[in-house]
Amino acid sequence: MKNISYLFLAVLFAFASCDKEDETPAQMNVEITFENTLNGNPLELNQENFTLPSGEPFMVKKFKYYISNVVLTDTESATQYIENDSYHLLGQDFNSVIDLGMIPSANYDQITFSIGVDEVANSRTDQTGDLDPNNDMAWNWNSGYKFVVLEGEFTHQSTQERTGLIFHIGTNSNYATVTLPLSGVMAGKASSIALETAIDELFSNPNILAPSNMASTTVMGGPVADQIGQNYAEGFIKAN
Amino acid sequence: MRSLIRYAGWMMAGALLYSCGESESPVAQGPTPISLEKPDYFSDQQAMPSDNPLTEEGVRLGRMLFYEKKLSQDGTISCSSCHQQEKGFSDGLQVSPGVNGTLGTMNAMALSNLHWQTRFFWNGRAVSLEEQALLPIEDSLEMNLPLDEAISRLQDDPDYPELFQAAFGSDQVTSETIGKALAQFERTLISANSKFDKWIRGEVELSPEEELGLELFFTHPEPSIQLRGGNCGDCHLGFLTSGDPNGIAGFHNNGLDSDEKLKSGLEFVTGNPFDKGKFKAPGLRNIALTAPYMHDGRFSTLDEVLDHYNEHIQNSETLDVLILEASNEALDPSKPIKLYLSAEEKQAIIAFLHTLTDEEFVSNPKFSNPFN
Ligand code: HEC
Ligand code: HEC
Repeated sequence: MKNISYLFLAVLFAFASCDKEDETPAQMNVEITFENTLNGNPLELNQENFTLPSGEPFMVKKFKYYISNVVLTDTESATQYIENDSYHLLGQDFNSVIDLGMIPSANYDQITFSIGVDEVANSRTDQTGDLDPNNDMAWNWNSGYKFVVLEGEFTHQSTQERTGLIFHIGTNSNYATVTLPLSGVMAGKASSIALETAIDELFSNPNILAPSNMASTTVMGGPVADQIGQNYAEGFIKAN
Repeated sequence: MRSLIRYAGWMMAGALLYSCGESESPVAQGPTPISLEKPDYFSDQQAMPSDNPLTEEGVRLGRMLFYEKKLSQDGTISCSSCHQQEKGFSDGLQVSPGVNGTLGTMNAMALSNLHWQTRFFWNGRAVSLEEQALLPIEDSLEMNLPLDEAISRLQDDPDYPELFQAAFGSDQVTSETIGKALAQFERTLISANSKFDKWIRGEVELSPEEELGLELFFTHPEPSIQLRGGNCGDCHLGFLTSGDPNGIAGFHNNGLDSDEKLKSGLEFVTGNPFDKGKFKAPGLRNIALTAPYMHDGRFSTLDEVLDHYNEHIQNSETLDVLILEASNEALDPSKPIKLYLSAEEKQAIIAFLHTLTDEEFVSNPKFSNPFN
């Protein structure tokens, strides 16, 4: 038995031998994970057990959003990591991770990112990767992207009918930049930054939306879309 | 115990060899790797399965198998009987006859741009092309040939063992390699030279009617901001016009039947009652050539399809919310679900659908019967 452990030690040593010891590595691996929630519970698509803040039973069918222009800051040393070409499409049962890969080491204590895509990226749809217009987030060929998409159905309070709820929120004025404090990211150590979205925040703070009272439960522009934009600008994404 | 130690020893030796040096890749012998010939506006993000890379030899073999009648019980039917190139790889029939003329129950699906799809069949019961390809061979309503019989027929053939050797490094025919070869050929069935493609690439203009149809196709209507649309692009997504490839997101109930008549569809696969009546949203490329339409081939023309979406939607427990909510006039819950497109708008969408016909695809000699 002992033999084996010695061998393993040797193996470990062989692997470690390329690294210089005692120094903080110049690079560190960082990823950002997103958990989606509704009223504090982890979101599940096509399940009936959710309730809207206004009380209607609610089933989510699709939830997707763009996170872009990610910046990590170490406020102490004023070091910043600015991700290049930073556009990420996230969504329930779709993608929950932004992998920044190896980035310069620092004690990052702040993260900044935007919900949606910036004016430049939003002015064209001939792009690839997460901005590929075939990702189902382009409005059509010439008018940019949906930033936040929520689709589902709820039981209408007055008609008791199964009613669709469709939020497709975009346009440059609803591009929202968020800065959050971080804890636990240490220079040189692989880190996973856990963020959380709260779908209920789309319906409240500062604008309260009760779908049973809405004139149209399809929102794809206009004043209600802007209200939802204001709602997601704050409190929609938090550090977990 | 001893073998464990030896194993650890090997690991160590491996680690030492590997640790700081550069790895050398051995000179590859075997089939010739090729890549898909696709336009750059088809996503790069759909990976090729790592255990079935595309090769010249694999595609060649797959093409032969696709047209091989030996793979049916009585030697009368091949995949191409129901998936005919000139009809966009469909067969023009409501349901298809298998061996002995036994009629199936579903409409033969058109095949194109399959690499960008992740679930196959109308109800999504196959999760890879490799897996899908073996099912029609055994299906009693289709080719009705047990797989071991298929294997021995190919093994006993004067040519096939050599072709399997060239494609997969062994002359032993297996069901796995049959599936892999067919899947490789099917992935090469890329349709990307329609008028719509030429328009995407800036090579041609669309007529005003086609352009209106395109706008309507990809727009979800929003009467409160005077935005007119047919909302087709909500489910037939992007340049591919096919369903969402993520999980089961590309399956919908598009209002063909009311609750009483709803078939199980995706529910058969997931067991979830919310999935009842949901079917795969197919890609619409070459749609003008692939009538009749829908999983049961109930519509024989595109006019009927448009009439369905515009004025004959049947409500049900699982009707897609994107249809439930889509209208060009303010919703009135007391009225039936209607899109309220005008006759001209419906014709414009049909004109756009005709721009999805790809003459090169349906006559490309690379996809045709190799035995002719
Ligand atoms: C007798 C007619 C018939 C034959 C022969 C046949 N198919 Fe099909 N094919 C169909 C029908 C019908 C469907 C849809 C069936 C369903 O959904 O249950 C289908 C569906 C498919 C699909 C799914 C496409 C999609 O978009 O999901 C593929 C791929 C396919 N067939 C390939 C093949 C291959 C490969 C062969 C030969 C090994 C073959 N077919 C033989 C009739 C046939
Ligand atoms: C809610 C999603 C959804 C919307 C919106 C939608 N479709 Fe479909 N479409 C489907 C599904 C799912 C099927 C397959 C249904 C079946 O066979 O049961 C389908 C089938 C079709 C077919 C038949 C394809 C074939 O190979 O048989 C055509 C044509 C078609 N749709 C065109 C359109 C057009 C045009 C529009 C807009 C007016 C549209 N669709 C809107 C989901 C949708």
